[in-house]
Amino acid sequence: MRETDALIQETLVTEELPSGLRVSVIPRPGQRRTYATFATYYGSIDSHFRLPDSGHTVDVPDGIAHFLEHKLFEKPDGDVMSDFSRLGASTNAYTEYLTTTYLFSTTQHQDQCLQILLDFVQEPYFTAENVEKEKGIIEQEIRMYLDMPGDRLHSNLMRALYVGHPVRLDIAGSVDTIRQITPEELYQCYRTFYHPSNMWVFVDGDVDPDRVIAAVSDNQARRDYKRQPPIPRILPEEPAAINQERIAQRMPVALPMLAIGYKDPVADLRGPALARRELVTDLMWSLAIGRSSPLFFELYEAGLINDRFGAQYEAAPTYAYSVLSGETRDPDALLERIERGLHNVHFDEEALERHKRRNRGQYLALFNNPGQLAYAYNSFHVRRLELFHYLDELDGITLDAIEERFHQHVRADRRALSLIEPEGAER
Amino acid sequence: MFVGSAQDGVSVYVYPTDRFKTISLYACWVGELDAASASLTALVAYCLRRGTRQWPTFTTMQAHLEELYGASFRADVGKLGEHQLLSFRLEIPDGRYLPGHPDTLGAGLDFLQAVMQEPNLTAAGHFPDDVIAQEKDILRRQIEGLINDKAQYAMLRCIEAMADGARFGVPRYGRVEDLTAIDEQAVAARWSEGRKRWPLLLFGVGAIDAAGFEAAVRERFQGPQSAAPLRPPTLFAATHDGRLVVDEEDVRQGKLHLGLATGVRLQDADYSALMMYTGVLGGFPHSKLFVNVREKASLAYYAYARVDAALGLMMIGAGIEFSDFRPALDIIRRQLDDMREGRISEEEMAFTLESFTNELKAEDDSPSALIGRELERRLLGGGPTSDELEASLARVTRDDVVRVAGHVNVDLIYFLTAHGEVPAGA
Repeated sequence: MRETDALIQETLVTEELPSGLRVSVIPRPGQRRTYATFATYYGSIDSHFRLPDSGHTVDVPDGIAHFLEHKLFEKPDGDVMSDFSRLGASTNAYTEYLTTTYLFSTTQHQDQCLQILLDFVQEPYFTAENVEKEKGIIEQEIRMYLDMPGDRLHSNLMRALYVGHPVRLDIAGSVDTIRQITPEELYQCYRTFYHPSNMWVFVDGDVDPDRVIAAVSDNQARRDYKRQPPIPRILPEEPAAINQERIAQRMPVALPMLAIGYKDPVADLRGPALARRELVTDLMWSLAIGRSSPLFFELYEAGLINDRFGAQYEAAPTYAYSVLSGETRDPDALLERIERGLHNVHFDEEALERHKRRNRGQYLALFNNPGQLAYAYNSFHVRRLELFHYLDELDGITLDAIEERFHQHVRADRRALSLIEPEGAER
Repeated sequence: MFVGSAQDGVSVYVYPTDRFKTISLYACWVGELDAASASLTALVAYCLRRGTRQWPTFTTMQAHLEELYGASFRADVGKLGEHQLLSFRLEIPDGRYLPGHPDTLGAGLDFLQAVMQEPNLTAAGHFPDDVIAQEKDILRRQIEGLINDKAQYAMLRCIEAMADGARFGVPRYGRVEDLTAIDEQAVAARWSEGRKRWPLLLFGVGAIDAAGFEAAVRERFQGPQSAAPLRPPTLFAATHDGRLVVDEEDVRQGKLHLGLATGVRLQDADYSALMMYTGVLGGFPHSKLFVNVREKASLAYYAYARVDAALGLMMIGAGIEFSDFRPALDIIRRQLDDMREGRISEEEMAFTLESFTNELKAEDDSPSALIGRELERRLLGGGPTSDELEASLARVTRDDVVRVAGHVNVDLIYFLTAHGEVPAGA
């Protein structure tokens, strides 16, 4: 399938291969880098699931998706990173709540790089010894995150918002859970989730889409994959209510940090409904507390926020929440002013039109950076959003819809707080 | 390629290209990095973002940026060698890809001009008192907040200790104690006096007509009356003989840094050999530090070496367990010995060359990388373009790297650790 957006002058070519693997390409003439990702719909929240063939239930230690991501780089003859290095390409991978993504970026030898990417992700090699060794590295990675105040702020907020949904757990797991991981468990997760029916390839670069698709197709043909049905994931029943009103932690920071979260109960939110909810909620926050809002200026003038303060909405099929966060000298005063400001919020028609323009500009800017484009595409794809149709409903969004959304979402009983306090602070 | 010219203290360089969906503008005044005035200069940048004659408040400015299709704007201070830069960055969506095809470039230049040259001043010619008080507060917290990013903080502390009061060690935002003492009138005075002295550089990347753009810029921006020529910074020399400096904070992971002197800067003939040295040692996943500290010994998640091309200063960093200080340091020292004694494989050389080549070519895809390299060259009074650098890297031999290695010396070792977790002998 080939689709072109005449206004932004971009084309997206997509094909689904017999193995179930989906390949998408955005040709970008003149771009020096070819940026390719190979992603699986398998993230940190997928530690409990049913095997698609037998229906057996499997429980594995938290942090295993991220552990698996690390281990795929290791092969009997060394580390696959050096295969990319040899070609001058850079490679990386990251694990999120919903997905695990492997990537390379290169200005040369892109055909070879693509084959290496496809091969290494599809050829696992886990031994008792190499799994044990990786635990030391991942432990250091986890400890590094434990020293990052922004990371703790978010992590604690998720624990406060969610009672049982695994988004409340750190993506990398904990030092204790990763110590339990065995090669057998890694293989079991691998066989289940790294099936092409559960994966997709995205490439942007100065490439011929048909050639890229043919190359992926040839690579797949060498492997004997039968289509696999979707993998049932087991999630605990998550109440609409929050888990805990407030979590505070002391760390060596100069200023306190405050995150205010609003839980947004969802059930199987995907596709256009999700796009619309994301756009409406984003516009709602921009109008209420965005940089040109009276409330933002009031807080800034009072010295309660700096210009990095902001609101963000995250939505996925099984969880959604908003976060307002930033550094502040006085979290209590900030919270009180925000509450009052939101209570008295006035949504303005002219500002709405302005923010719609801003949305268009920001969408366009996605196409400026090969990595960012791939990231956006993947995050859209896993949530069944169409990249070229994301803004379709933008013009039709009315102030009424914004106000309705505000009353539905911004509720005191769905709100939780996370707080990082400087060491030695009196409270 | 950038085209343009330097005239009367105003340098205008444009990189016309159809590859991007946005137009990127970057303007900076080049001031001298100086301990006493660094925070005052930073405060000027912060106050300028608060309002212009046409858009007098933060709110009206932000609303205007939203009108400009969410143009992103940032006024800040930066540091390069011994220069302090007051920088203004504006990235505007290109009107060709927007409904109605508006001219966003002209509007963008108007905005930059307003911010830099027509601030919202009181009748007495000062920044409003409340604006100064608020921005002072923000800046103070910005400086105090540097500790929040532990890896960054450890690096800054290491550089500060290496500089020992020398100009290059002045933090880009200055010091809190100088900030507190600033009186209200000094800010506008610094701005108007700076404009008469500071060279102005302006870069544009995107679908821009170079000649028309240069004319439009020169029409809008006057140069300084008497700009001093840009001088390259002083070469960093080691004076601490590998002394250990330890900070204790409540952290879960130790940050080990080594500061080194290399004797080579961007404009020197050996610069590409130094780049190869740094790449083989710690620039990539195939490099000695990553392979030996992380992959073989499992002591760290990250381990790297970087070079500050303006000063010829190298920094090695790794995040480690507190008790692994000695083993990690020993492994790092062994890698430095290997470099000096030429234990560098053909493979390490070849991989490093390929990786740098990739990085340099990839700069073409990023407006900020393109501007960054051009800015560095203009400020340091020369140095290779990315194409020239690519060509000269390919000519570097192992002997060249070993020759450079002979001049690399550890100046200082810095360790950020937890309370009570101080390595023996420190």
